[in-house]
Formats: sequence, C-alpha cells, structure tokens
Amino acid sequence: MLITWWYLYITARSILQQTLNMASILQKLLTPLVSGNPEPPRNKVTVVGVGQVGMACAVSILLRELADELALVDVMEDKLKGEIMDLQHGSLFLKTPKIVAGKDYSVTANSRIVVVTAGVRQQEGESRLNLVQRNVNIFKRIIPQIIKHSPHCIIIVVSNPVDVLTYVTWKLSGLPKHRVIGSGTNLDSARFRYLMADKLGIHTSSFNGWILGEHGDTSVPVWSGANVAGVNLQTLNPDIGTDADRENWREMHKQVVDSAYEVITLKGYTNWAIGLSVADLTESLIRNMNRIHPVSTMVKGMYGVKDEVYLSLPCVLNAGGVASVINMTLTDNEIGQLKQSADTLWGIQKDLTDV
Amino acid sequence: MYCHTPCGPWSTVVHYIWNRDLCDELCLIDVMEDKLKGEVMDLQHGSLFCKTHKIVGDKDYSTTAHSKVVVVTAGARQQEGESRLNLVQRNVNIFKFIIPQIVKYSPNAILLVVSNPVDILTYVAWKLSGFPRHRVIGSGTNLDSGRFRHLMGEKLHLHPSSCHGWIIGEHGDSSVPVWSGVNVAGVSLKGLNPDMGTDADKEDWKHVHKMVVNGAYEVIKLKGYTSWAIGLSVADLVESILKNLHKVHPVSTLVKGMHGVKEEVFLSVPCVLGNSGLTDIIHMTLKPEEEKQLINSAETLWGVQKELTL
Repeated sequence: MLITWWYLYITARSILQQTLNMASILQKLLTPLVSGNPEPPRNKVTVVGVGQVGMACAVSILLRELADELALVDVMEDKLKGEIMDLQHGSLFLKTPKIVAGKDYSVTANSRIVVVTAGVRQQEGESRLNLVQRNVNIFKRIIPQIIKHSPHCIIIVVSNPVDVLTYVTWKLSGLPKHRVIGSGTNLDSARFRYLMADKLGIHTSSFNGWILGEHGDTSVPVWSGANVAGVNLQTLNPDIGTDADRENWREMHKQVVDSAYEVITLKGYTNWAIGLSVADLTESLIRNMNRIHPVSTMVKGMYGVKDEVYLSLPCVLNAGGVASVINMTLTDNEIGQLKQSADTLWGIQKDLTDV
Repeated sequence: MYCHTPCGPWSTVVHYIWNRDLCDELCLIDVMEDKLKGEVMDLQHGSLFCKTHKIVGDKDYSTTAHSKVVVVTAGARQQEGESRLNLVQRNVNIFKFIIPQIVKYSPNAILLVVSNPVDILTYVAWKLSGFPRHRVIGSGTNLDSGRFRHLMGEKLHLHPSSCHGWIIGEHGDSSVPVWSGVNVAGVSLKGLNPDMGTDADKEDWKHVHKMVVNGAYEVIKLKGYTSWAIGLSVADLVESILKNLHKVHPVSTLVKGMHGVKEEVFLSVPCVLGNSGLTDIIHMTLKPEEEKQLINSAETLWGVQKELTL
C-alpha cells in the first residue's frame, strides 16, 4: 500500500513538474502588461468563396496590407483548411496578423468589407446571364449570414452575373443601396485601359477611359471621355468607336468583351486581374480615399432607367461606401445602350424567385 | 545606381527614393562635407528598414560613377519673394562645375534637373552635358500639376488621383493650365462650365491656378523652403524611369518647333518616361490663347538664356 502511494506521488510530482516547466518558459520570457480581451479588428475583410477568384482577391488584399484581419468562408472544408494553412504559413512575410477561416460565418464577425465571390463560375462559352438562378439560390444562404455577423459592413459582389447578383444581394441584405457594390466594369475598364495604352505605347494608368453599364456583352465604352493627358481622342478622330473609323478602335472594346471568354478558354478561369481590381476597390473603401471607380450601383432614376437595376457608373468610393455618382455627359446612343442593358437585366430579375 | 546632388531641404527627394526602394545604390554629392556626411550616416542608420543596400556620399564625383539617373538639386534656393528667374546666373555657375563631372563618371545617365529656374537650368544642363535631349529632363510642372490636382480634389471632395488636370509651360509664374483637358471620369469640366478659367467664371477656377503659382512662395514664406511635395514628385518621375513604366508626366523638355515655339527653350509638356529617358511627347490640342501663353513663356526664357555665359 505504501508502494502504491509512493508511485502515485512520483507520478503526480512528475506531471506537476511538466506543467510548471511548460508554463515557466512563457512566464520567464514575457511579463504581460495588458490583460483582458484583445482589441476588435478595425479593418477586417472577409472573402466568401475560396475558389480561384476568392483566393486572388484575398492574396491581393494581403499583399496591399489593407486589412488587420482576414476571414475566409466556404462550404468545402478541406479546400478551405488547406488554403488558410498555406496563407498562415506565409505570415512571416505579411502584415495582416490574423487570418481565420471556417464554414461557420461566426468567423466573419465585425467585418468592414465582405467580398462575395461564391457561386458557380462561367463554363466555357456560357454567358454570364445563364448563371443566374444557380447563384441566386446560393446567395439566399450566404447573405443573411453575412449581415447577421457584420450588420454594418459594405458588401462587394464579384460573382457573375455581377449586376443581377448585386441587386439580389441588396434585396436579401436589407442594406442601404450605397453599401452594396458590384465589382462591375472596374475590371472591364482596366482591361480597356490596358489594351488602349498598349496600342499607344504608354502605361495603363496614363490612359483614361471608362466602360460603363453591364459587366458583360453589352458594356458601354464612353468614347467621348477617352483621353491621354487631357487630350481627347475623339477630338483627334471624330469617327472613333463607330463603324466608319478607319483605325477600328472599336475593336479594342470588342476585345474587352471577349477577353474573359478568351482567358477562360485558355486557362480555364480568370482570377489575377479580377483579384487586383477588387483589392483596388477595397483600398478606396478602407482608406476612405474618395477615389472614383466604375462599379455597379443602383441606377434607377438615372438616364431614364425606371427599374431597380444595378449598372456600372463612375462612383466615388469612401469609408461609407458609394458617396456619390458622377453624372456623365453621354451621347444619346450611349444612354440608349445603358437603357437597353437595364431592360435586359430587369427582364431577368423580375423572374427570379425568392428575392 | 542613382545619384543625387546635393543635400539640403531637397534631400527629401533622396528620402522618398530611398524609402520607396527604387534603386540598389544611392549616392549623395555636395560641397558641404559635414552636412553631407551627417545626412549619409543618418540614412545608413536606417538601412535595416529599407532595401537600398548601398548608400554613399562624397565631395568627389568619382563616387557617382555608373549612375542610371542623376537628380540635380544643386544651387542656391529661392529667397522669400524672389522669382525663379532671378536665381539664374548664380546657378549657371554652379552647374558649370557640376555637370561636366557628372558626365565624366556617368556618360550614359539620365539627368533630372530640379534646381530653379528649372526650365532654364535644364537647357543649361543640356548644353553643358552634350547629352541627347531625351536624357535631359526637367522636373518642370510635374509638381504644379500635382498641386493643381490636389486643389481640384479639395474643391470637388475627391482624391487627387481621380482629378485630372494638366499644367504645362514654365514651372513658374507663367505656367499654363489647360482648362479644356480638365476632367473627372472623362467628364470635361469646361463642358459643364464654359466660363471655366476666364474672369467671368462664377466658381473662379482661375483662382485655383493662381494658388498653384503662389503655392511655392507661400510655403517658403511659412516654413522657409518647400521640400515634401517636390520630393514626392521627383520620386514619382524617377520611378517611371527606373521601372520603365512609360507613364505620362508633365516634364520640361526641348519644345523648339512645337506649338509655334521657335527658340531652343525647355518647357513642360506631357511626356512619356521610360528607362531610356523621355521616349515620346504628347501633342496637346491647345486653344490659341494657350499656345500664345507658351510662346510668351518661350520668349521670356529665351530672353534670359541668350544673356547667359555658358
């Protein structure tokens, strides 16, 4: 009996010593001054969907050091866990100290910006409008969860068809319209500026040109505003953008419209450019910059649009969301095209169920 | 390799270039040896936090050898109330010492002249160096345009990068605001307000340009010199050159034969900058009164230039 007690004593002492030793490295190393709960994040960004687009957005945001916390959400648990571990393993080289992930939306709590990339992607040859009902059903699960945990956030919708899904998000979220933004033609305009600048041998940022309206086949290039160093291209070539144009500048816009399809045909999906363009929008919002971007916003009442549709117009973005919309001086033809887009989109939206 | 001459309040140019990790080696030159040594040491002490592995400084120009870009800020600076043109002959003499030394050690460099009066001194640097015109660039109205876009942003509650406006011509009292090109998101502001830039304009946009012209004088009066904005604007130009961006900037270049200018003068127009220097010039569509202003600037500058002993 004495031996049993002795063994018990040895075991207990050994456990106690082990516990004390583990605690004592931390205790020896650090003297905490601040106790209690850690501060909540100030610039938290959530990305919903860890597919190619979602991860490109996440990485672009991380590399730009925009967020103090990043949350990722998806339904595919293994993929999600693998992606988060991979990012966390890179934390030595990043300035975003907390990267979290989960299937449960509680990880997204207190986000300032929520980027929604969830949904099925365009198949080869599939037009964006055909994706619609598939993605609406997914959003019906996602959006209420986002709002529950981050009631004051700004939502950037990226999933296609982006204009319709931004409308859907607005309806499902109950957020005021200036806090629901679609990535819209921010990417189309970037592609346009790249193609035009390349043809002129200058840097993309030195070519100013805007593509508005639907992010898709019926986007509207505003030729009257295209300029380099304030030199209006339409003044140099009044036929620009028309069939009569011998230089066929219209081809540049066609290439923009076709470019997503082309990249998808070649590599299966697009991700880098959209990721960078979303980080660009996030930067204007988080840093309260009042920069202008062509993004999808609620345009009812503008340019003769009578329905509640989202289309891209140049918007001033700051910490509150869309602060204002620029009133473009558009030609009758351009206004007509916008209206036509609006009608097409409304034609789809009115048939959606449960929105 | 990048070289800067010399120190002084415009060493903020150096600071920004160093802080933005634009070059792999940074060299400072000045005649004031103690000041130079102090500046170099201070920068070197910060090297843990930057990516420029070598920072050197010396009175001897041999340290500048193999520079890709040489930024010249040397010279006497504007006194309170002094116009840039009054500095001229003082600074020409300094350049007669500096430029040949730079050329000797970095015959393939791109010269970026910042010292005032910048348009005249860029001409002087061009003449003294014997470099082709695309490798001698004046910082010009890059700063004036930056100031204009800032003020425009304040007036419209927008970020300056979303406000587009170009100030060309002389970096100084007779700079030319190109009102027809001023736009936001491609929307021409003059199209919305045809009186813009005239005396009849109720919004008094002309005052914005006046504030740009007076901006330097006002800052000098308040703090003794200007440094931060010019530093940032030069770092912006150096970045376009070193990273071969082909970005368009309003910088001072030889404009003889353009817009009716007949003399060999340097004035700012929008130019494309890349790693071979100034690769292209943008032809602006100017109104007759704007061209007239450029021609007047050119004549004023030539009036001063032809009296210089080079």
